[in-house]
Amino acid sequence: MSKERTLSIIKPDAIGKNHIGGILSRFEEAGLKIVAAKMIHLSKDQAEGFYAVHKERPFFKDLVSFMITGPVLITVLEGANALQKNRDIMGATDPKKAAPGTIRADFAQSIDENAVHGSDSLENANIEIAYFFKPNEIVNRTR
Amino acid sequence: MKLLLFSALCVLLTYNTVVQAQTVSGKTKEQTLSIIKPNAVAANHIGEIIARFEKAGLKIAAIKMLTLDKKEAQDFYAEHNERPFFPDLIEFMTSGPIVVMVLQGDQAVAKNRELMGATDPSKAAKGTLRADFAESLTKNAVHGSDSSQSAEREIAFFFKTSGIANR
Repeated sequence: MSKERTLSIIKPDAIGKNHIGGILSRFEEAGLKIVAAKMIHLSKDQAEGFYAVHKERPFFKDLVSFMITGPVLITVLEGANALQKNRDIMGATDPKKAAPGTIRADFAQSIDENAVHGSDSLENANIEIAYFFKPNEIVNRTR
Repeated sequence: MKLLLFSALCVLLTYNTVVQAQTVSGKTKEQTLSIIKPNAVAANHIGEIIARFEKAGLKIAAIKMLTLDKKEAQDFYAEHNERPFFPDLIEFMTSGPIVVMVLQGDQAVAKNRELMGATDPSKAAKGTLRADFAESLTKNAVHGSDSSQSAEREIAFFFKTSGIANR
């Protein structure tokens, strides 16, 4: 399988609890490579633009307000089957339903403050990566 | 007259204490630059290394990943350009991507240096980053600013002020 890329965001709750290293380790231990990283405090416009697909959903307003409460750490993860692998490592959206050993079971407190975001399809991964990174901000990992 | 001088001195001393107290409280936001070098990135130790900083109470205030070109590496290490190890250092630092971070916290410069351990991994204390992740004196896993003056220069080398989060 060729290299696949997905977008991961460590959300403000997990940043506030200083779990960046703990979360990135989970990705690396699963064989995903980090190929880009930045830390941003999203503006309301940036958060609304990023979650535009959810604009009509009832949770949209709360999601946007949460995502701008503090800085987030955005990474591009690369590897075979990166998209599905990241989703497996994150666990269910609702931490109460997340399997033991997943990031959400271990680091999330509620369905709103659920520690991480991961792209849900390859198409969205491409859109989300381009939303945050210029091509020259993504490194070439030959090892 | 003596009394007046004495009062002036008291005012001055009080003023100094206030200024010092502000400097001390300012230290809770001391910043330092950390680089995870190509060997540790390649070995996929990014998360583990960052976890050491966070467990020690240092916060990540900025992060980026890039591959240095020769000129950037030479400029960053300009103070070492006469040293015998300079060419090897530049070759190694441009051999693959690195992760550059601003760490923030009380005594960030000194704390980061303690966590890293001695430059030579064979002399680094047990449990330090270099004892655990370095391969050799050159491939020693991490860089950390050696003083608050260097930290200021090194942070400005990689980050615009707007790229550093308010933690």
